[in-house]
Amino acid sequence: MDRGPSTVGTVYDIQGFSVQDGPGIRTTVFLKGCPLRCPWCHSPESQRFHIQLSWQRSKCVGTQECGLCLDRCPKSAISAAGSEPVDPAGNDAAGGGAVATIDVDWSRCDDCGVCAEVCPAGALSMWGKRQTVQEVLERVVKDRPFFERSGGGVTISGGEPLSQADFTLALLAALKQAGLHTALDTTGYAPWAVVEETLPYTDLYLLDLKAVDPDAHRAATGVDNAPIFESARALAARGARMQVRIPLIPRFNDGRETVQEMGRFVSSLGPAVTVVQLLPYHAMGVSKWDRIRPQGPVFEAQTIPEDRVAGLKAVLEQWGLSVQVH
Amino acid sequence: MYEFSPIGPRVAQVRQTYRDSIPSVCVERFLLVSEFYRANPTMPPMIKRAKNLLNLCENVTILVNDGEVVVGEVGSRYRASALFPEYGIGWLFQEIRSGHFLDRALDPYAMTQADMDAIMPWEDFWAVNNLSAYTDAALPPEFADIVGNGVVQFGIEHTGAGPVGHFCAGYDTLIRKGFGAIKTEALERIDAMKGRLYGEDALKEEFYRAVAICADATITLARRYAAECRRQAAECTDLARRAELTEMAEGLERVPEHPARTFLEAVQSMYIYQIAMSLDGNLHGLTFGRVDQYLNDFCQADLAAGRITRERAQEILDLFCLKIAEMNKIWPSFATEAAGGYTSGQLITLSGVKKNGTDATNDVTYMLIECARRLLLHDPPMSLRIHEGTPDLLWDAAVECTKACGGVPTFESDKVIIPNMLQRGLSLESARNYCLIGCVEPGGCGDDWSANGGPGQESFWRIPSAVLLAINDGVNPMPHFDGSPQTRTGLATGYLYEMETFDQVLDAVKRQMEYFVDWQVAFTNIRESVARHYMPLPIASATFDGCLESGKDVMWGGARYNGTGTAAVGIGTATDSLAAIKHMVYDTKLVSAREFYDALMAGWVGYEPLRQRVMKETPHYGNDLEYPDEIAEWISKVYNDKVRSCVGIRGNHWSPGFYPVATHVAWGKLTWATPDGRKTGDPLSDGISPIQCMDVSGPAATLKSALRVDHERCGNGTLLNMKFHPKALEGGGKAKLIDLMRTYFDLGGMELQFNIADADMLRDAQIHPEQHRDLVVRIAGFSAYFVELHKQLQNDVIRRTELQL
Ligand code: SF4
Ligand code: SF4
Repeated sequence: MDRGPSTVGTVYDIQGFSVQDGPGIRTTVFLKGCPLRCPWCHSPESQRFHIQLSWQRSKCVGTQECGLCLDRCPKSAISAAGSEPVDPAGNDAAGGGAVATIDVDWSRCDDCGVCAEVCPAGALSMWGKRQTVQEVLERVVKDRPFFERSGGGVTISGGEPLSQADFTLALLAALKQAGLHTALDTTGYAPWAVVEETLPYTDLYLLDLKAVDPDAHRAATGVDNAPIFESARALAARGARMQVRIPLIPRFNDGRETVQEMGRFVSSLGPAVTVVQLLPYHAMGVSKWDRIRPQGPVFEAQTIPEDRVAGLKAVLEQWGLSVQVH
Repeated sequence: MYEFSPIGPRVAQVRQTYRDSIPSVCVERFLLVSEFYRANPTMPPMIKRAKNLLNLCENVTILVNDGEVVVGEVGSRYRASALFPEYGIGWLFQEIRSGHFLDRALDPYAMTQADMDAIMPWEDFWAVNNLSAYTDAALPPEFADIVGNGVVQFGIEHTGAGPVGHFCAGYDTLIRKGFGAIKTEALERIDAMKGRLYGEDALKEEFYRAVAICADATITLARRYAAECRRQAAECTDLARRAELTEMAEGLERVPEHPARTFLEAVQSMYIYQIAMSLDGNLHGLTFGRVDQYLNDFCQADLAAGRITRERAQEILDLFCLKIAEMNKIWPSFATEAAGGYTSGQLITLSGVKKNGTDATNDVTYMLIECARRLLLHDPPMSLRIHEGTPDLLWDAAVECTKACGGVPTFESDKVIIPNMLQRGLSLESARNYCLIGCVEPGGCGDDWSANGGPGQESFWRIPSAVLLAINDGVNPMPHFDGSPQTRTGLATGYLYEMETFDQVLDAVKRQMEYFVDWQVAFTNIRESVARHYMPLPIASATFDGCLESGKDVMWGGARYNGTGTAAVGIGTATDSLAAIKHMVYDTKLVSAREFYDALMAGWVGYEPLRQRVMKETPHYGNDLEYPDEIAEWISKVYNDKVRSCVGIRGNHWSPGFYPVATHVAWGKLTWATPDGRKTGDPLSDGISPIQCMDVSGPAATLKSALRVDHERCGNGTLLNMKFHPKALEGGGKAKLIDLMRTYFDLGGMELQFNIADADMLRDAQIHPEQHRDLVVRIAGFSAYFVELHKQLQNDVIRRTELQL
């Protein structure tokens, strides 16, 4: 496989600055596509591997003034909708009034992107962009002065970056060659052979662990956790530096017992793990779930109370781990 | 991690009094000045201003309020505003006559019917005798042709809304030397020229006499306060307070006549001088300068001698800051939309390097940050000077402060500003001793008549309107207030659809910009020539380096250094506008110049899809993209080069700046739709910040874009306002924010300021103001209590892109 500056990947975002993605000031490259299907996912637009349509009603100017997308869809997935109030809080083009917009029939849409091309307002837009390693590199090196002062660098995240192994490896190699600190944010769900190849180019792994219990893990994410734990152990054995990140999800892994098990496992990895980050679930005001193709019921849960989080942090600390809550 | 100390019960009580009080209008100054002016129609202005001040200092009500240790009041009641009829207050007469004065939506003031009745009979007297009217009379006939251009802003007749100000007097000189010595020097100089007035000596002699009178005035005021302290001490049954009042009286008998001996005397000397200057003139941005540098010696000496404890020193500063917060000045109702929240611009500068280049941080630096953080005061505003050796602890304290108290302090970089001051001709020592004036404008401390705000309100300049005129043959598309269309007020540069290349557009913009910079300079110089005649400032001049030596008032160029500042508003909007034209019309040709022009002249009404496309397709400033950023660089160069080539009335060169106070919202209302897709009336971008919510690539990219404006050439300051979500500062976020700032300053950035606020919380504060009374936010040039701001300014804060670290 050809791996170099011209290797192409599907990127869905590049963000300057992310406090949780490793040391110092960092720029994070988000790759599209993930083999896991966590229902609580905060970036559902990152799950699918292909470039996807996003539909944001609040941005639509309305069919009366615009309507450019009507009659464009080769699959006839777009139709005029009745008038309804648009989100008054949103950045809506129509100023919060009632405008007649459109409906997208997701069962027909095949994400071809024709409508997004004509939509002037970005109400119809595409998640994801094909970019070369070189293009991504040119974007991130602009932030170099900020990395230097703060000891930061570039984080590759996703989705699951190891699912686009060629691109990720080529990008990591290019970043290293440019003298930048690299971090890889991964679920660890990839063949060891792939993970192993990242070792020479990766300064820090941000390893996302969800649950120790295989059944619970499979039920929630749709995949087996054995390869994940194998990656974790093997990385530790090879002396990689790791930060373990655990999303704390109500009714899934926020029980004391579950956290105990996690603590036992993480501490077994030894000094390779520098810190454990607990990421308690937040019931967020805005979600992107309603902007993409519906995929099953939307996950709903309460924010975990702070004292409870503190208790679970203490459980992990009993295992001798250094724990941060984000 | 910096640890803040708790506030004591006494300070808490004074703070409560401040927060619970509603400002009122006091007519005492108005009436004293009116009688004085009527009785002395022929007195020469220099002497008249000095004697007017003396008359005020001899007769104003003396108020020593409960719990105070630092005293001084401009009105006859706590938190009252004085009135300045000699500068022109037609607006107040109008507001009173309209019957709406008491229901002002913003910055409400109480005023009794008796007080209104007392001033109304003077309306005719003051209608012709005021600075505003004198200025109107001095304007050349061309003025009528240029009004309404939307680029430069001139006074509305009879408003006098643009006060003189924006300087830092010689507080340090005053504290250490005292008015007694200043007076002696003035009298000796008069003696030396007695009976032999050659050349301009007559003017000098008059100036020295005025200085001596001002010295007497201030000393008199202090003595009257001393007497009141003694009176209260005699009646006081609380022994501790009695002793304190006696100490205060002794201090006020000593300063500002003599050099201060103690920390309290130094603070009091500074403040009584501030009161004298505030009684004298309708001044704004009466900046304190490097207070930590003036005061630390006194603090250390008192501590070493056991005269005070650290807690007492902190308490004195707390109460000093509460006095500053209390002082306010009424603005015309129409001006409160742009700068509401009872803001007075009495800026304090902290830290930086000393005159010898070493770190200047001291105990008083931290104490003043404690004041802002614990008292949650938006006034006095504070600026922190940053340099390579700024201690980590100070960084930490300052970030904690701005987290709690939005935008206090602002962060300013010595690395850029000191060279900037050197370019302006200041000596290395003076340059290192700079302070910030008003909002973000660098100026010398006690030796520089920098006139950063210009001599009046016309310091501001709207770049987006210059772009509009450039592509509309010199005609502002914004109709007059009565709805009638404008006639040509700019150069006839042709229409967009006649321009074949983007370079022709740029050329037209450049010509309009240069044309209006010249007009602005012309009008400002005219205004200043009028103001210096009628409103010289011997009280301020008395302490300025250079004035006694030269025998000239500051207004006449007597200070050691001179400048005039101006500020451009909306570079983000203008940049995105030009980027939109370049991209849509010339590079991609997605739309014809004619259609683009028609859409723009329709204010985008009926062209919503095109407007959306423009906003979506145009590369925006603030994202570290070459395409728009090179335009920003070009605009700043055109503007800076032109402004720096202009010469002010004191022989000084002008200084360009990029900051709006908060006019970007009020003026946005008066600005036609712009080519970037902005609708008519929407806010303009502020300072060098990107358009609200168009910076989507993170703070590093925003800062990189902002660096394209050549900061080292912006002698009058730049301003970059950023908003972070509180979560961004948790964990390691604070350290990252500090590294972000350090990098910006390394790369040549001048100023940064932050709001650490959550949009949901701000929206809640709009709905439940009573629950968020102490929420301080930074607008652009100043901080204010969020709930006291105009709704549009509130929305401007909410709309800003919320950055995550
Ligand atoms: S992306 Fe979907 S809705 Fe849009 S044109 Fe293609 S099929 Fe139709
Ligand atoms: S093209 Fe976009 S803005 Fe126009 S009607 Fe369709 S979705 Fe709405």
